[in-house]
Amino acid sequence: MVKKILTIFFALVIITSLIVMPACSSAPSGPQNLTVNIAGEPSQIDPNRASWSTERTVIMQVFEGLLGFNQDLSLKTVGATDMPTVGNGGISADGKTYTFKLRPEVTWSDGVKVTAHNYEYSIKRLFDPDLAAEYTSFYFNIVGGQAYYEAISATTAAKAQLHDAVGVKALDDYTLEIKLINAQPTFLQLMALWPTYPIREDIVTQYGATWTEPPHYIGNGPFIMTEWVHSDHITMIKNPNYWGDKAKLDKLVLNMTTDANALFAAYQNNEVDISGVPAGTEKTVMADTTLSPQILRFAELTTFAFQFNVTTAPFDNKNLRKALNAGIDRDAFINNVRGGVGQPAYSWIPPGMPGYDANLGADYHFDVTKAKAFLTAAGYSDGSKVPELHLQYADTGINPTIAQFIQQQMKTNLNISVVIEPMERKAFTQAVNAEQYTWAWYGWGADYPDPEDWLPQLFGTGAGNNHTNYSSAAFDSLCAQAAVELDNAKRLDLYAQAQAMVVDDAPVLFMFYRERFVLVKPHVQGLKHTGMDGDVPGDMFFANVWIQN
Amino acid sequence: MTRYIINRLLWLIVVLFVVSLITFILMHLVPGGPWDKEKTLAPQVVEALNKKYGLDQPIIVQFGNYLGGILHGDLGVSYSFQDRNVTDIILQGLPKTATLGVVAFILAILIGIPFGMAAALKQNSWIDYLSVLFSTIFASIPGFVLGILLIIILSVELHWLPTGGWGSVQQIIMPAFALATLPAAFIARMTRASTLEVLRQDYVRTAQAMGLRQRVILTRHVLRNSLIPVVTVAGPELAALISGSFIIENLFSIPGIGRMFVNGVFARDYGLIMGSVLFYAFAVALINLVVDIMYAVIDPRIRFD
Repeated sequence: MVKKILTIFFALVIITSLIVMPACSSAPSGPQNLTVNIAGEPSQIDPNRASWSTERTVIMQVFEGLLGFNQDLSLKTVGATDMPTVGNGGISADGKTYTFKLRPEVTWSDGVKVTAHNYEYSIKRLFDPDLAAEYTSFYFNIVGGQAYYEAISATTAAKAQLHDAVGVKALDDYTLEIKLINAQPTFLQLMALWPTYPIREDIVTQYGATWTEPPHYIGNGPFIMTEWVHSDHITMIKNPNYWGDKAKLDKLVLNMTTDANALFAAYQNNEVDISGVPAGTEKTVMADTTLSPQILRFAELTTFAFQFNVTTAPFDNKNLRKALNAGIDRDAFINNVRGGVGQPAYSWIPPGMPGYDANLGADYHFDVTKAKAFLTAAGYSDGSKVPELHLQYADTGINPTIAQFIQQQMKTNLNISVVIEPMERKAFTQAVNAEQYTWAWYGWGADYPDPEDWLPQLFGTGAGNNHTNYSSAAFDSLCAQAAVELDNAKRLDLYAQAQAMVVDDAPVLFMFYRERFVLVKPHVQGLKHTGMDGDVPGDMFFANVWIQN
Repeated sequence: MTRYIINRLLWLIVVLFVVSLITFILMHLVPGGPWDKEKTLAPQVVEALNKKYGLDQPIIVQFGNYLGGILHGDLGVSYSFQDRNVTDIILQGLPKTATLGVVAFILAILIGIPFGMAAALKQNSWIDYLSVLFSTIFASIPGFVLGILLIIILSVELHWLPTGGWGSVQQIIMPAFALATLPAAFIARMTRASTLEVLRQDYVRTAQAMGLRQRVILTRHVLRNSLIPVVTVAGPELAALISGSFIIENLFSIPGIGRMFVNGVFARDYGLIMGSVLFYAFAVALINLVVDIMYAVIDPRIRFD
């Protein structure tokens, strides 16, 4: 009897452990290979020159800077020992001099030490007019940077002089000093972005433009690029010389499929581990019993809106703009056009970053009566009295559906006629950039998670990305104060006031905050996504990912 | 014959010059330039980029510089592919596109000619009807629809073949088939029509009256003569297949030149556009010349001098 009970007991233990073990354990098992997809051949993988998410995805695996972001997008030290503050002497009292102490243990993938000279070389190179890097203008507050970048037609000798005058200096192998023209509270965030990652002068000098090809593409990050088959795929392996926690993956492959349907098929055929879904198929995927448990959804720091050219009639009428904002059913938009993915936007700065205010834009929640009241205030007794509105959009993806949706909403809700005008993508971009449009679909994604990147950049008078022609002296003054305010609470309060002003003036029709909707194979573990990922969800932290087969 | 070929090659230079001039003008006339991006670049950045790529010069000087470069065998650099040389980009993509094109072409010939011949020889039989039915279906289904169907059936459902990419034999099968169907249908109908015509010729009737065996008549007299119109259509088809299909290359993620050229146009990558167009013009002109020479080989009545 005892023997029998023992036998049953042991059998039960074995069966239970067989059932429970695989679910509980989350240790790496099987080949540690991850295959993901980026949206095509990256144009630039030179950290100084890169500007696009595809490029960032590659760079973030191979390089890292002095600072970086945590998953909640707060700053962390990476190559630096401490976060510079006024208290620890890292930031001078006037906020214009930054001193970074470097970790001596950080090495390049070939074993050479990373020094402050690598950073000095890289940041000065960022301003080289002959390199024509696209993100350089973000760093024009560094002493001498703008003058060097603008000296495009200067002689070689003059350029060399300007190069040396840039306010970046390696005081010794492990101390870097950067001097700014004005105090800039967001400067540390800029130092966490890819253009300031260190670069090896000896390699760039030796290989010239081909330094970004393996095996010359030497970085200091968790992965090493071993293969780049152009327009096809990039292969990376774990960097055995990485100074920190080494990558759990042995191999990382970045495919370059550009067709959304083909990528989705490749995911279903187990060729890639992470994939988006073709626009419009979200609900089908949610209903699919195999695929639905593999869905990963998370908010992204991206806002979509229709921008008005506020200097052209009838969009120069603030109450008309408010009427359009209140007269559109954003929930229906998300449900019918976006497959239920996304969050309605009633203001500009998205949730998940400083400056988001859920209480803003209460006037813009869908309400036909309120919309008609705004219309009356605008001087139109009825929507049919409003002149025909012209909406321009780039004729790609689901943009035609978006345009048709708004056309139908305006007619049904407010009796306003909208003419939709599809344009070729570049032609559309040029028309918007030259402000030769009336009303256009657009989106803005965070370069860094701060209102500075969201308000003065887009709504400041004459700002580079202000294509609404919105101009408010009060708004400009608030942003100018905020730009140099070192007290963070006060600074955010100034931006909050500025955003409230923009929301009230409605130079855009706020539509929705984007949400990522992707499929991840169950064997992919440890994926940490953020609101500012590059092309692939979790690509800021691929070193943490492991495979559990 | 040699004089004819030299003459044609000289004309090729004129053709290439005109093509490059027209492309250059059109390229600069269309709205939107390479630096028009969704996130507007700072004016200093645009200035630096223009200077870097010589776009700050008067347009006529730019064209002159470009022609000067070509004479030195330099097709310029691409703006959207990290300053890589356009010649290198084309040379990297060409073998892939050409391999795919040649496989698709052979497939089209292997399907098209036997189907067309069989249909003509057994006119109004079930073979004929089947051939017409298939060629109508193949001619009506766009390649990308067939491509998606193939992917769904052979990759997603049956897991027999990879969905795309390049490097293995399995990866060529679906795109080559998707590319081959339209020319195969075209060649089948062409072969059927010309074979029917040849079969009614006097010399065929004479051969039959002389009591020659059917096989000899078909191979020696019918096939050869009925292929002349087929060669006429097959030549341009080959040129089209080798120059690549953006849709098929995009769908099957093949790093060929068709996909690069279209991406170059979307990105207003002037260097890549000019290089690709000139290359296409050169390839098409060359293949047409080869086709003309082929006529003379197939049909001894055709002489060029």
